[in-house]
Amino acid sequence: MEKDRLLPIFALLILLIGSASSIYVYATQATTNTLLVNGQHYTINQIFSLAKPRSFNESQYSGIALDDLMLKTGVSQPEQHKYTLKGADGYEKTVTWENMKNGLLTKDSESIFSNLPKAFRVKDIITIEVK
Amino acid sequence: MKNMKFIAGIIVFGSLWGFAECIIGSLMRDVNLPAGAIMTGIFAIGLMTFSRVSFRQPGMQIGMGLVAGALRLFNPFGGCFICSAIAIMAEGLLFDLIWTGFSLDLKKPQTLTIQASLGICSAYMVYVGGYIVTQILTPLFSSAGFYIENLIVFIPQMLASGLLAALIGVVTVPAVFTLKKLDITVKDRVYYPVTMGLSALCWIIVITSTILSV
Repeated sequence: MEKDRLLPIFALLILLIGSASSIYVYATQATTNTLLVNGQHYTINQIFSLAKPRSFNESQYSGIALDDLMLKTGVSQPEQHKYTLKGADGYEKTVTWENMKNGLLTKDSESIFSNLPKAFRVKDIITIEVK
Repeated sequence: MKNMKFIAGIIVFGSLWGFAECIIGSLMRDVNLPAGAIMTGIFAIGLMTFSRVSFRQPGMQIGMGLVAGALRLFNPFGGCFICSAIAIMAEGLLFDLIWTGFSLDLKKPQTLTIQASLGICSAYMVYVGGYIVTQILTPLFSSAGFYIENLIVFIPQMLASGLLAALIGVVTVPAVFTLKKLDITVKDRVYYPVTMGLSALCWIIVITSTILSV
């Protein structure tokens, strides 16, 4: 088949894939008022009363210490685990204990790490899984 | 001489692209617009298509991506600048591979349908491809490392986010072909001063804005 005929078909296929993915993403968007941390549900206020505060960049970013949160939620031998932070939109990032020691969770449920690129800022976190 | 013109073209188009990403892209991110898809759909695809149909030389867009990505590294504000720089470089490479691989260097005049289809295919594949590459390379360059499962669960979102870039590409590519019909030629006498001056201006503005933002 000629390229002139193939291109529009390929373009339509791409539009179909993009549209179907958009519908799937919209349908599977998670909405919850709690965070699932190490297998237990907490509200953001409960989490903030649990762990000690932390701030970076002269208080430009402030929240609670992620490493302390994990200890307070019962993680033992924390350096032997990996931690997966999952956002409501499906975005997730896995980090090490060293990273958690330089990380904070904001009141808007966003992760910020002082030693990692901004790609590790997971917004609207709904789960912190210990692996 | 032709080679020098080609290199000057890479520098000026790459600088314009990098300038747009740093200055216009940052402004878009500040007002919570989907800057990535808009920047790719308009500026990346627009400049790469224009340079490709003007010079018809494979490899040019890889160079443009490297210049634009380097400029983005000089402006560490507005979103993840390392991810953006990697994505820009990957987009240049992907555009070049797609156009060379699918032999899209069209010689005869094309219908609007073909131009629009080119816009959809290029914009979508370049944007989604760049997104995937940056999701792999950014963690690899960090202390956290890369985990394939983080990428797999996010594939539907990446495929969905490319739709906007594709829809913008429908307009951008035919607009570039229309602009090309105007057949604007720059005389050799002014070509180098204009390209070098414009490139220098882009770099000066970006570096100045970086210094002022610190």
